[in-house]
Amino acid sequence: MKDGDLMVQQAIELRNVCKKRRGKTVGPLNVNLPQGYITALVGQNGSGKSTLLHMLLQLTFPEEGEIRWFEEAYRDGLPLQLRQTIAYVPEISQNEENLWTAREAAGFRRHWYPSWDQGYYEELLLKLEVPENARLGKMSKGERRKFEIAAALAAKPRLLLLDEPSSGLDPFAWKIMIETLQRYMDEHEATIVISTHIVEEVRRLADYIVLMHQGQLLGMAEKDSLFGSWSEIWVQAEGGQALEELAAELPQALELKLETPGVASFLTQQIYQYEKRIHDLGVKVIKSRSLELDEILSLWSRGHRPVLIDQKRGE
Amino acid sequence: MWIPIQINENSAEPLYHQIETQLKSLIISGTITEGTLLPSIREFAGDLKCSVITVRRVYQDLENEGLLRTRQGTGTFVSHVGDGTMAGYKQDAIRKALESAVDVGLSVHCSEDELTQLFKEIVQDKYGKQK
Repeated sequence: MKDGDLMVQQAIELRNVCKKRRGKTVGPLNVNLPQGYITALVGQNGSGKSTLLHMLLQLTFPEEGEIRWFEEAYRDGLPLQLRQTIAYVPEISQNEENLWTAREAAGFRRHWYPSWDQGYYEELLLKLEVPENARLGKMSKGERRKFEIAAALAAKPRLLLLDEPSSGLDPFAWKIMIETLQRYMDEHEATIVISTHIVEEVRRLADYIVLMHQGQLLGMAEKDSLFGSWSEIWVQAEGGQALEELAAELPQALELKLETPGVASFLTQQIYQYEKRIHDLGVKVIKSRSLELDEILSLWSRGHRPVLIDQKRGE
Repeated sequence: MWIPIQINENSAEPLYHQIETQLKSLIISGTITEGTLLPSIREFAGDLKCSVITVRRVYQDLENEGLLRTRQGTGTFVSHVGDGTMAGYKQDAIRKALESAVDVGLSVHCSEDELTQLFKEIVQDKYGKQK
């Protein structure tokens, strides 16, 4: 445990949470999402990310386990006061507001969110170029997303849940969204949980990554501890015989293969531990590179859990 | 403010250490001057594509070394760098560069005399040009 961890308060805690659907179970989920940080929820379609977000809003309820919000379980339902501090951008916008313009929808939402900041809302609509007089139902997917993001932030939430917020956004709007979320985090004591498929979004925004796969939560990592955890190495290898010898000497190597005659490649974790060994074997390293975040996550979802790089101070 | 820090993704050096070393040398070398307001932790993390946990650690370490100070509500600033620190840093930087040059010499079996001769030539050449 790192120094200071004891003081960290949790925004969300899940204990053995299970949601059973016909033919599919999400869980058991065990995770803590700390206050004041951005946690990215990543995983393939159908891995259970949206179900997890729905449970955090009590749009759906788990059959087993316990969820705690800001360190309380609220077994009889989330009180209004707490709901008013949570904002949500759903994966698919709600139909109920389709006939309203952005202005009219704001009037409705303002009623439910006492901390609604109309000035901030209008500033965001302007910045994101959301059409003022169009009905929400008539907007393009991207325009509707922009409205949803602006309206969620205008409620000044303490907990912001974003389900693939950038789908449909053009690159300019995407950049504004990233910067707006960063600034919001800077100026408020907020917590963001964002489900996303966009690696660049994780790279720019996330502090923590939670990886889900087929209804299971594979783990949570501080994003930077994944940095440099896997490498791809190209070495000189004369042929099949040399390849077999290499495989015997480096049992931890994955995807060992002959790239072209004379060159073999493989994946390994913690390359700095094996560099000397490879050198001692008399194998010539041609090139190496660190795997990208998406490659690391993809290996992880195939069962190759990364050994997290120790980010602690060397004490 | 944009801080010129370059992260090497292929380095085995941990991220926070890369950032810390570079930020430190930018401050001690005077590239970022005393009183400069650094980006907020969240902003800097976004620029560097790392987490706020890493940036916070870097700011705290440099604060403990007296290179940065944080004023509640305003942000993190560059402090006064003492002349002693500056001189020590210069020596360190030169020593490191020379050590790696000598290592290259050793690796190609260059003799001590040969290396010293080369060093003298380079010094004369470079310093001569400055006059």
